[in-house]
Amino acid sequence: MLRLELHKIFRRPRTYISFLIMTAVTFLIQLAMYVDGSSFVSFAMQGVGEQFAISGNILNGYLVTYLVLQSLLIHIPLLVALVAGDVLAGEANAGTMRLLLTKPVSRGGVVLVKYIASVAYAMLLLVWLAVVGLGLSVLIFGTGDLINLKSDAFVMLLEHDIMWRYMLAFAFAALAMSTVAALAVFLSVFADNSIGPIIGTMGVIVVLTIFSNLEIPLFNTIKPYLFTTHMIAWKGFFDAPVPYDAIITSVLVLVGYIALFLAATIVIFKRKDIQS
Amino acid sequence: MRRYARNGLWLLLLSCFSFVACAQTDSSTILFQKLRARLDKVNDYVADVRIRIDVSFMKVPPLAGKLYFKAPDKMKLERNGGVSILPKKNINLTLNSMFPVGDAIVIDAGTDVVNSRAVKVIKVIPQGESDIVLTKIWVDEERNLALRTETTTRDNGTVKMDLAFGAHIAQGLPDKVIVYLDVKEYKLPKGVTMDYDANAQMKADDKGNGKNKKGKIEISYLNYEVNKGLPDNIFAEKD
Repeated sequence: MLRLELHKIFRRPRTYISFLIMTAVTFLIQLAMYVDGSSFVSFAMQGVGEQFAISGNILNGYLVTYLVLQSLLIHIPLLVALVAGDVLAGEANAGTMRLLLTKPVSRGGVVLVKYIASVAYAMLLLVWLAVVGLGLSVLIFGTGDLINLKSDAFVMLLEHDIMWRYMLAFAFAALAMSTVAALAVFLSVFADNSIGPIIGTMGVIVVLTIFSNLEIPLFNTIKPYLFTTHMIAWKGFFDAPVPYDAIITSVLVLVGYIALFLAATIVIFKRKDIQS
Repeated sequence: MRRYARNGLWLLLLSCFSFVACAQTDSSTILFQKLRARLDKVNDYVADVRIRIDVSFMKVPPLAGKLYFKAPDKMKLERNGGVSILPKKNINLTLNSMFPVGDAIVIDAGTDVVNSRAVKVIKVIPQGESDIVLTKIWVDEERNLALRTETTTRDNGTVKMDLAFGAHIAQGLPDKVIVYLDVKEYKLPKGVTMDYDANAQMKADDKGNGKNKKGKIEISYLNYEVNKGLPDNIFAEKD
């Protein structure tokens, strides 16, 4: 059944639109950095540059990958929602849900298989991002020490100390995207049309991301409970020292949300009167 | 008659004080000139170095590289393709840059103890155009070495430097230099950096560090190649 679900996902043209969008955005960032990266570096480093002379290959593949990740990990959830929001609602829309449920698989099993297929798609997106983002950037810009500019700190990581961080960051991003997929599948159970869950997922992520990033005391109390606050924990791997305790907390929060969304989806789907 | 005798005594005392002051100034000037002459013997050097940067907002691992120096003030850290970080402008890590060149007024500032060694303290005020306003030097007279300097510059605040000598003492070159410098606060908008700050404990620690606006750079020299003749293009910035 999983193979069937994967076949359904990958035979749709919209699936490949996500890969194209991601490739295009990555190329644009790489092109911009190739043409005018030195201006960007000077601008970004001006706070430190006033006091310290920093030279060497700052604009290397690792820095460009970090910038690609920073900008794309906001957009990838939207691309994941494009597919995951369709898995249940799409069946209802096409009138194939009843046919699907005639198979000797429980409703809970159907939800899990559809979720796993969505996660597989998200993983492939991330693998593709690793290829065009990290692989191509390193090929074009070379390697070197990574400078990570935080709001209150200048973090420098040595070249030999970076690749394992990217591997863990991509692994964490996979977990974050799995959470998005769980949310999209959850919203998908309510609709008979895939537009609603897709837009709903995007809306939830956009609004919660704003909550997570606004520095207003009123929101500070709810921030630790929002999954969007924890979705950027991959950045923790580029800090020194790595805040493992905080990252583990973020992992637990995201796993909790996945379990919550999936359990709620299964409960609702089991009780749902399937009419199409 | 008594008045003349009293005036004469005052005159004598004043002359004595002037003589002592002149003698002190002269000995301080000679001390400074000896020190300067020793430094001037080093035209250039290349040294393998280990650098530790301890600045509140900078998280930089210990850096290893080659430090190139050419008199009077050219310096470059090379890290085999890696990123190098050095304090900007005239605050560089060499003793030469802390000593004013050209004419200077040298004033005796007493004695002190540095690392259990009795030292003489002199103040040097450059006479010509210089970024240095005042340099205070703690001099080990016996070995003709500066063990500590405190240099006030026009644009870069006050820089203190502690020097430790060992294997390269014959050339007057230090094995270890610790530079203490003032650093400005560093801040970027969170909306731009999108920080991950779920760790409240780390945030609290950072806050504490943020108050500290003193920086420290520790540089250990592992070996020197002195006066081999370095071309100027070594110091040219590469794009």
